[in-house]
Amino acid sequence: MADEKEIIVEYFKSKAKTKTKHYFKDFLELFPDKKPREVKKILSDLVKEGVVDYWSSGSTTMYGLKGLGKQEEVEEGEQPKD
Amino acid sequence: MKFETPLLDQLEQGPWPSVVSDIKQEAAHRAANPDGLDYQIPQDCCEDLLGLLELSYKDMETHWKHGGIVGVFGYGGGVIGRYCDQPEMFPGVAHFHTMRVAQPSGKFYSTKFLRQLCDIWDLRGSGLTNMHGSTGDIVLIGTTTPQLEEVFYQLTHEMNNDLGGSGSNLRTPAACMGMSRCEYACYNTQDVCYQLTEDYQDELHRPAFPYKFKFKFDGCPNGCVCAMARSDFAVVGTWRDDIKIDQDAVKAYVGGEYTPNAGAHSGRDWGKFDIQAEVIDRCPSHCMSWDGQKLTIDNANCVRCMHCIDTMPRALRIGDDRGASVLCGAKAPVVDGAQMGSLLVPFVKVEQPYDELKEIIENIWDWWIEEGKNRERLGELMKRASFQKLLEVTNTEAQAFHVKEPRNNPYIFFKEDEVPGGFKRDLADYRSRHQR
Amino acid sequence: MAFISSGYNPQKPMEGRITDIGPHKYDSMFPPIIAKNFGKWLYHEILEPGLLMHVAESGDKAYTVRCAGSRTMSITAVREVCDIADKYTGGFVRWTTRNNIEFITDNLETAKALKADLDSRKFAAGAYKFPVGGTGAGISNPVHTQGWLHCHTPATDSTGPVKVVMDALFDEFKNMRLPAPVRVSLACCINMCGAVHCSDIGLVGIHRKPPMIDHKWADKLCEIPLAVAACPMAAVRPTKVEFEGQKVNSIAIKEDRYMYCGNCYTMCPALPIADKEGDGIAIMVGGKVSNRMTFPKFSKVVVAYIPNEPPRWPTLTATVRKIVDTYAQHARKYERLGDWAERIGWQDFFKLTGLKFTHHLIDDFRDPAYYTWRQSTQFKF
Repeated sequence: MADEKEIIVEYFKSKAKTKTKHYFKDFLELFPDKKPREVKKILSDLVKEGVVDYWSSGSTTMYGLKGLGKQEEVEEGEQPKD
Repeated sequence: MKFETPLLDQLEQGPWPSVVSDIKQEAAHRAANPDGLDYQIPQDCCEDLLGLLELSYKDMETHWKHGGIVGVFGYGGGVIGRYCDQPEMFPGVAHFHTMRVAQPSGKFYSTKFLRQLCDIWDLRGSGLTNMHGSTGDIVLIGTTTPQLEEVFYQLTHEMNNDLGGSGSNLRTPAACMGMSRCEYACYNTQDVCYQLTEDYQDELHRPAFPYKFKFKFDGCPNGCVCAMARSDFAVVGTWRDDIKIDQDAVKAYVGGEYTPNAGAHSGRDWGKFDIQAEVIDRCPSHCMSWDGQKLTIDNANCVRCMHCIDTMPRALRIGDDRGASVLCGAKAPVVDGAQMGSLLVPFVKVEQPYDELKEIIENIWDWWIEEGKNRERLGELMKRASFQKLLEVTNTEAQAFHVKEPRNNPYIFFKEDEVPGGFKRDLADYRSRHQR
Repeated sequence: MAFISSGYNPQKPMEGRITDIGPHKYDSMFPPIIAKNFGKWLYHEILEPGLLMHVAESGDKAYTVRCAGSRTMSITAVREVCDIADKYTGGFVRWTTRNNIEFITDNLETAKALKADLDSRKFAAGAYKFPVGGTGAGISNPVHTQGWLHCHTPATDSTGPVKVVMDALFDEFKNMRLPAPVRVSLACCINMCGAVHCSDIGLVGIHRKPPMIDHKWADKLCEIPLAVAACPMAAVRPTKVEFEGQKVNSIAIKEDRYMYCGNCYTMCPALPIADKEGDGIAIMVGGKVSNRMTFPKFSKVVVAYIPNEPPRWPTLTATVRKIVDTYAQHARKYERLGDWAERIGWQDFFKLTGLKFTHHLIDDFRDPAYYTWRQSTQFKF
């Protein structure tokens, strides 16, 4: 599963310039031969390892690399960089 | 109190329970701190909350922002992040997140359980709750980020209770009180709700759906938990055999010895109970008759709307061959308009271990995860992909009960294997009969 | 404040972690009479408003006292509920789906004493804490959302409007004199967390002005592609604008496509949507979820906009009261509000209630709109 995890992390990094959070469906497209359940397992593992974090709008949930993204800092009380 | 709240104070007048009075009472409790707690979030948070709400009453605008925090470690739901947009004025509610706590189906509690929960929330939260949220969870309103894990730890270790759902996952399922105190329950709503909640914990805590998904379980067509209006997968109790009639009890209703409609109309003088006008003539499928002595029901034509049973509960009882209908795709209006659940399965026995129901659910999920767009509810996918597709993925044969009326256009897209010879045609053969 | 650890170790989050256990089993906290007669109930009767009797095959009788709680409830109030349950009903209590609290006992005298006790409890300022009622052909406790108290996209408050509307309808909560139950619900925006779309009377917060765009902060606070992707109407798009002499990445909103779901603000706080002049409440009526007699149906908008008038929303409460009174006067026994409106025709609904019909009440949202126009010469002058 290490390879698959690498693919996911690389995907996050390659997109990080424009957006840091992605829907579950985006990862299905990375693994066209895998069933959704298998892809979910990889992501859940990455969450458990502390590599990936969930992000929620309340109604929907997205995945992102831990610590990455503009909202993280703001939410924990820091001011955004001017 | 820290702030003057002249506008909110006006919500303390009038008879209906006042949330403002209640929050003030909680603020006073925290200020007095009778248990000598070392409060883990600001002691004056309730006062700050009232100050912030007063400001909203003045501004007529909310002062909350959303935050993306989702839950405790490893969970993708159960927590909603909230931050106030005037943190300097109201530091006690600067970070004020919501936690959803899984409720027992039917919402029967012991005071021991409730007191334990109150103690945790007294120490680690604002002391404010929703009993309950719209989906059914116990909602704990207002705590800081560091307390989320601590509350979860105490909930799981000391109370043996989990968080509920939020985000793109299975939401906390809900059931009516069912067989626990209702004679109309056609199946054990609470048990199937509990069992499926347990069986689908991974779907509930680790989001991998296009959007939210709700189960609700109503024991009968009266629909007290609004399954048909509010859940992607609605299980509504029904029966297939005859309504049971106690003719003596019918006469007792007619004679005025029993109170019609279980006493629900006793606050106004509606005149003497008239079985013909109030029951027979109101039956939607006109399947009943009353000859002055005997009530007759043509059960083959009964559509089980519950009106006669609701009106004469001591005389009429649901049948014995009980189960449920399954309706799919209900949702609130955003985006494409509100949808009511559409009938998929007319009757299913709802019995442990619920494999028949689970097979339908999992077939639907497989389809929806694969085909659903981001933020598309099942009902919207059904509209986009067709009801036929739903039938196909659930291996259901189309039947006349699936529709109110047949289609009124002939734009029928037959599949290739439905037409003899398929779509490949022999042009030479055609030309042998037709000139160009 | 000294941090008190629950036992959780943030360095090792998985250590001793308990997950995926779900709720308590539903029957683990049943009152004895419920445990004994589960699935064996014969019939029920509402003895008086707020007092129900359920009779079991065993001959046992369960007496339930139903009272309103406010959905938003302090633990002080919950503890008071516990004290009451400990005193009268053996330490057991339940909540209904409509935020009512139910105490169940096998003794009628206990139930009557409990009922009197509940009705005697008031807050210092005078409101009832736990008024008994909410049964039968009356108005039960409204389902509602968070509003200004805790939501980020509301167009109105929730607990406030619910309080003032229920103050106005209090007699109907305490009595059973309407033609049928009237379910009142409130959602503080069109996302309808409170699912008011099938209520007899649904109050819905509506925004009327698209968000402002804070060009200075948009690119700093938000990931613009996320705000763009969040819009179900494709009304939000990325753009570059001149701001204080500099080209900055920002957002543009196509105002005629904007439908006020607020997802963009959820994703991006630089798109504030709340507006004191824009926001207010629409009234929808005639929905229901029960299959009794007629199919379940959606509520219809009969008042497009009522301004927010805190703290007591006088226009809103007067309008709701007018609708309820007109219904109570004209509907037949058992007829839900929507069934009554359909029987007499919506034309007469407006005539009898005195509500003004306006162009805002004609559906213009996508395909279903057409099916609500009148394709007939049958109508009334």
